[in-house]
Amino acid sequence: MEPKVEATQPQFRSGISGANPVEMGLGFDEIHGLISAAPGTGGSSFTALLELPPPQAVELLVKEDFPVKPMPPPIFPSNIALIDRASKFSVFASADNSPESTNILSASSSMKLDLVKQEPLESDSHPNSSSPAVSNQSLKSNKRKEREKKVKESNKKSKKVVANEASEDSGEKLPYVHVRARRGQATDSHSLAERARREKINARMKLLQELVPGCNKISGTAMVLDEIINHVQALQRQVEFLSMRLAAVNPRIDFNLDALLAGEGGSSIDNSYPGTFAPSIWSEGQINGSRQHQYQQPWHFEGLHQPSWGREEDTSNFITPETSLLSYDSPANSASLHSSHLKMEL
Amino acid sequence: MKSSTMCNSSVVLLKQEFLKKWIKGLHTYSNFNKNMSIMDRRKPAIKLSADVAIASTRKPATRWSRALMADILGTNRILVEQVLGRKQDMRAASGLMKCSKKILRRSSLIARRRVVPRRVTEPSSIARKLVKNRTSVLKSLLPGGEGMDEVSLIQETLDYIVSLRVQVDVMRRLAAGSLEESLCDHHQF
Repeated sequence: MEPKVEATQPQFRSGISGANPVEMGLGFDEIHGLISAAPGTGGSSFTALLELPPPQAVELLVKEDFPVKPMPPPIFPSNIALIDRASKFSVFASADNSPESTNILSASSSMKLDLVKQEPLESDSHPNSSSPAVSNQSLKSNKRKEREKKVKESNKKSKKVVANEASEDSGEKLPYVHVRARRGQATDSHSLAERARREKINARMKLLQELVPGCNKISGTAMVLDEIINHVQALQRQVEFLSMRLAAVNPRIDFNLDALLAGEGGSSIDNSYPGTFAPSIWSEGQINGSRQHQYQQPWHFEGLHQPSWGREEDTSNFITPETSLLSYDSPANSASLHSSHLKMEL
Repeated sequence: MKSSTMCNSSVVLLKQEFLKKWIKGLHTYSNFNKNMSIMDRRKPAIKLSADVAIASTRKPATRWSRALMADILGTNRILVEQVLGRKQDMRAASGLMKCSKKILRRSSLIARRRVVPRRVTEPSSIARKLVKNRTSVLKSLLPGGEGMDEVSLIQETLDYIVSLRVQVDVMRRLAAGSLEESLCDHHQF
């Protein structure tokens, strides 16, 4: 796996349409660490943990009703646990206290396992978007403040000026945030609110940093925002480019919607040729499952497409294109199943 | 890794959702676009239907999706109708447009009030200016980003990035798949 990534890297750079090479280079380091599944160290589990909160947190932050298919929604206990972890990471990323952070890391890794076991048991009913979102956020900020205060206490051992009544763990059901003023800081309501707001912003920035590849190593809001902007612009450009490409490639228009929707149920039809297509472009689904990878994979495509064409032509002699696209059993590739039908529709 | 598969399942659902809606949207154009030129007709049609689809997967919850839908509603109402379904569309249409317009109006007023000319060269204010610049750029990037405060801006960006990734991924797979198939066809002949 590793040499493959290295070898294809220069090809990606040539195949990029206006991407930021620095950003990509950093992203590949991350891929590197994640692909090599060998290390069982705290480092890799940390990155795995980091992977989990932001996408899940995003799902949690904006939870809503799907008209077509119910998504497995997070239930509240797992929400809180997840948000706790995210908040812990955000807190300890800023604090310089290493022994404490490793303690918390181990604690949260055990928590993560619990969470992961909980997730499959989720029910299909989902709450409305507005109230859980609001209470989630208030819960999150509440919990985060509690944790932050505890950290600060243990670090500084300072006296606290209690501006508001602080509730330790009973704040779960309260709709508003209890804030404590730290030592040496103004205690009027305005600055408190200001600080609460700033902390909210910082927490979300942390999440964003974890989501956008290559932002972890950058410190400073402006730079991080820069990276985020680059990322969004690159994604938008990709959408443009892809839509143009799709428009150019497919001159035929047919209707195959019924077969498509029927085929979705049986997307794992034929795995008779999984091995032959292992090296092909669709192997991206098997290499990794994380979203960050799936972002990086697009670049993987451009470079990988050219060399693997020869191989595909050989193998496709005895495989019709349709079954070839069906043979990828991972659920992420059900989209690939549809591509065979969809391209006819275009 | 279990965690990555957990992320994956929700992503996959999103993708399927997106794909279905996208196909619905594409059907709207299929009759028009059979022999049209690439740039004028087909590319915007594909992109628009994809955008509508991805926005509709997030429809109720996020501001950017509402703004995107409102925007497209102005020009391609039929498309949105097709993708969403009749009833929802009627409800959504008026609500979205009112919402976004109100927000824009409010935000422009606020922006005007807060402009205060100052000459400061402290590092903190320079940093703040930089951040402000970036924030405004981000707002311009995000659909419906103008009327947002910082907190929700970041939240919306998060969501938007995720949805964009889904969109890009599905489109890319489709493009590659169709390329592969056309290649196989050529090879067989």
